[in-house]
Amino acid sequence: MTGTVDWLRRYGALLRAAWLQDLQYRASIVLWLLWGVTEPAVALGIWWAIAADGPVQGYARADFARYFFALMLVNQLTIAWDSWYLDSWIRDGELNFRLARPIHPAHEAVAENIAYKARTAGMILVVWLIVAAVWPAVRLPFGADRWALTAAAVLLAAALRFFISFATGLLAFWTTRATAIMELHAGISLFLSGRLAPLALLPPAVARVAGFLWFPYMLAFPVDLLTGTVHGAALVQGFVGQVVWLAVWVGAYRLAWTRGLRKYGGVGG
Amino acid sequence: MPAIVTAERLSKTFRVKVRDPGLKGALAALVRPRYRDVHAVRDVTFRIEPGEIVAFLGPNGAGKTTTLKMLTGLLYPTTGRVEVAGFVPWTGGRDFKRRIALVLGNRQQLVWDLPPEETFLLNRAIYDIAGAAYTERLAELVDLLDLRDVLEKPVRQLSLGERMKCELAAALLHHPPLLFLDEPTLGLDVTAQEAIRGFLSQYRERHGATVLLTSHYMQDVTALASRVLIINRGHLLYDGALDALVARIARIKRIELVLGPGDGVTAEMLAGFGTVKSFHFPNAVLEVRRDEAAATSARLLAALPVADLSIEDPPIEDVIRQAFAQGLGEDP
Repeated sequence: MTGTVDWLRRYGALLRAAWLQDLQYRASIVLWLLWGVTEPAVALGIWWAIAADGPVQGYARADFARYFFALMLVNQLTIAWDSWYLDSWIRDGELNFRLARPIHPAHEAVAENIAYKARTAGMILVVWLIVAAVWPAVRLPFGADRWALTAAAVLLAAALRFFISFATGLLAFWTTRATAIMELHAGISLFLSGRLAPLALLPPAVARVAGFLWFPYMLAFPVDLLTGTVHGAALVQGFVGQVVWLAVWVGAYRLAWTRGLRKYGGVGG
Repeated sequence: MPAIVTAERLSKTFRVKVRDPGLKGALAALVRPRYRDVHAVRDVTFRIEPGEIVAFLGPNGAGKTTTLKMLTGLLYPTTGRVEVAGFVPWTGGRDFKRRIALVLGNRQQLVWDLPPEETFLLNRAIYDIAGAAYTERLAELVDLLDLRDVLEKPVRQLSLGERMKCELAAALLHHPPLLFLDEPTLGLDVTAQEAIRGFLSQYRERHGATVLLTSHYMQDVTALASRVLIINRGHLLYDGALDALVARIARIKRIELVLGPGDGVTAEMLAGFGTVKSFHFPNAVLEVRRDEAAATSARLLAALPVADLSIEDPPIEDVIRQAFAQGLGEDP
């Protein structure tokens, strides 16, 4: 029990520090928000134009609007920047004092994630509510069970993206190009995770490849859950996919962490 | 009392990629990488008792920081054994890390954009420091380090000296029995260096902590450490008291003279007493054999019109430079 209280206190302190740092740069908060809104807004604009003459594979204009508003929110709730932090920690030697403290450096990263997500997603939620008040198309189907399922899927997606980012950042133990690898991953995920278009609109062969990888579970699956377009077997399959890929990436992170530290410390080197 | 730090035949070898310059070299390194072993630390053995202040002394790249990193568990020794505060550092985990503080002169743990107090609060939670203990310790550190005026300024607005003071405060809030300080006065001006030294000796007196510091500022060592470990090119050259080292290496003493009024004293006359290092009337500096310093002084006083005379050890920097240049293999 005291263990739990200690951890709550530690996370409280880490979150406080993360939020206070955020508040130092109010201009950058606005910039990040704009960045988070622009990409889905541009994608929505394009599909809005394409769907002028009628639905595209079942997606009408209102469906696209709902999809990209949901995407905007879910993306901010699940995005992870940890590979960039880790890369600089490892290469600039800032990992040293973090390793000398009695707390795993990942906790600092998790706290930063929570702080960032709460702040940006909170703002996007406000924007959405205001837009929804005047534009019925972006309102969501409501149901407590669906909200609960969506929350679970968003949590799993956030964990998945965190471990992908953290594990990739740990490649900085071996290469100076860790962030380039993460950029490449982000580029692929633009198509395969549903950021540019709902996965249902991808060419069937591409959609099939995506289905075998982790990309749809990072974003598209929780977005489809939130907009109410996934049911039955697909819903179960989505959760199974999330859990399996999360386990794989947790494994990758653990491998990279222990091997990386041994490399860093020069075990047997 | 058992030693708080034991290092036995400690060695660390890094394998580094070597590459010829230019495009050809880059391609060759890509196809067939070549490696070279760099022996950063070789066969180093020492013990440190609780409460000691020990300084690692050596030029850049001597192996000081590598040794410190092995003692704190950041690096794994290639061969040899380390035990620190009852733990093998590499596998000591949280319990080990609570017993040490590591301060790196060139890397800071203070949160850059926030006032230092926020880092203190963070460490309070990370090290599970109880409220009352935190308040008491912070008050003591603020008092000893004179931090009242800087607590609320963002770290990025602090001077280098103020930052190092805050860095020390952040590292000591959990009252570690063992402090590792890597170049704690690096880049600081003389006043700030003295403030840090004053604090460290006071803190150690109050709390009896063991301190291991690396430095290439001799003043740090003379002011703080009773014992020095001199390390060069990975080898431990000397382990012992600073004055014993001076006695061992410095076979000479300097006699500084101020001659009285009147003339007639020439450099040739002074040369009869020892090696004349400088002579600008009325000041003269002679070097004589250590064991003859007293007798020579007496002869000088008897033979010449001397207004003032003092016998000094050569500057410690000269002694250390000599140690690095000649090694310490031979006995005095």
